[in-house]
Amino acid sequence: MARILVADDASFMRQMIREIVEAEGHEVVAEASDGVEAIDMFRAHHPELVTMDIVMPRRSGIDAVKGILELDAGASVVMCSALGQETLVTEALQAGAKDFIVKPFKPDSVIKTIQKVLEKAE
Amino acid sequence: MDMAKYRQVFLEEATEHLAEMSRALLDLEKDSAGAEAIDVLFRMAHSIKGMAASLEYDSITDISHLLEDRMQHIRSAGRIEGPEDLALLFRGLEGLERMVAVVRETGEPPPPDPELEGVLRTPLDPAQAEGAQKKR
Repeated sequence: MARILVADDASFMRQMIREIVEAEGHEVVAEASDGVEAIDMFRAHHPELVTMDIVMPRRSGIDAVKGILELDAGASVVMCSALGQETLVTEALQAGAKDFIVKPFKPDSVIKTIQKVLEKAE
Repeated sequence: MDMAKYRQVFLEEATEHLAEMSRALLDLEKDSAGAEAIDVLFRMAHSIKGMAASLEYDSITDISHLLEDRMQHIRSAGRIEGPEDLALLFRGLEGLERMVAVVRETGEPPPPDPELEGVLRTPLDPAQAEGAQKKR
């Protein structure tokens, strides 16, 4: 089971992801509500996986992916996107994110994507 | 999932977001190119859309999506071009406030507002739309 950092500016979304991943036995080691905090929390907790919202204050999710990969080139980051954000998802994947999930979240799909990324990282 | 719990979180967070949007619109009245106010409006509309979609509040999802799209264009253009655009954003905000109030009072998804949807689909000021197009 993995140690996970959840980054999203909406408490609603953080709670939802936490509930989904904890039901599978993963541990949420920290939460972040903006891109700067996401990098700080990654540095502090070294999680095995990060779920990263794209639209966040201070630094966007895409900027935060770049910041995290500067700290750890092998970091596993999964983007949380919405319909209509295909261009931003592509940009995030090019920046080094490993995969993405789409809001509204479907628990099965979230878990499947996270498992796939974790297995590849092993 | 306990959707009643998420409905409560939605009500708290959406209420805060709507207040922030209201303040941002008042800022834009004073400075039509206020980058921070434009960014706040975009992010808050986006966030409300995501929460509403998760709870299957389709009418709130649709209006917040239209507002988000509008703010995306305005963000690309760098400014609001005229008082009509600002009035339209105020109207969209009032619509969202009404819909969130329905959720608070009834616990049910609010009915759609096709008139407001139509208004929010009207094209932006031509000069602004052109500016947004060039920046894409």
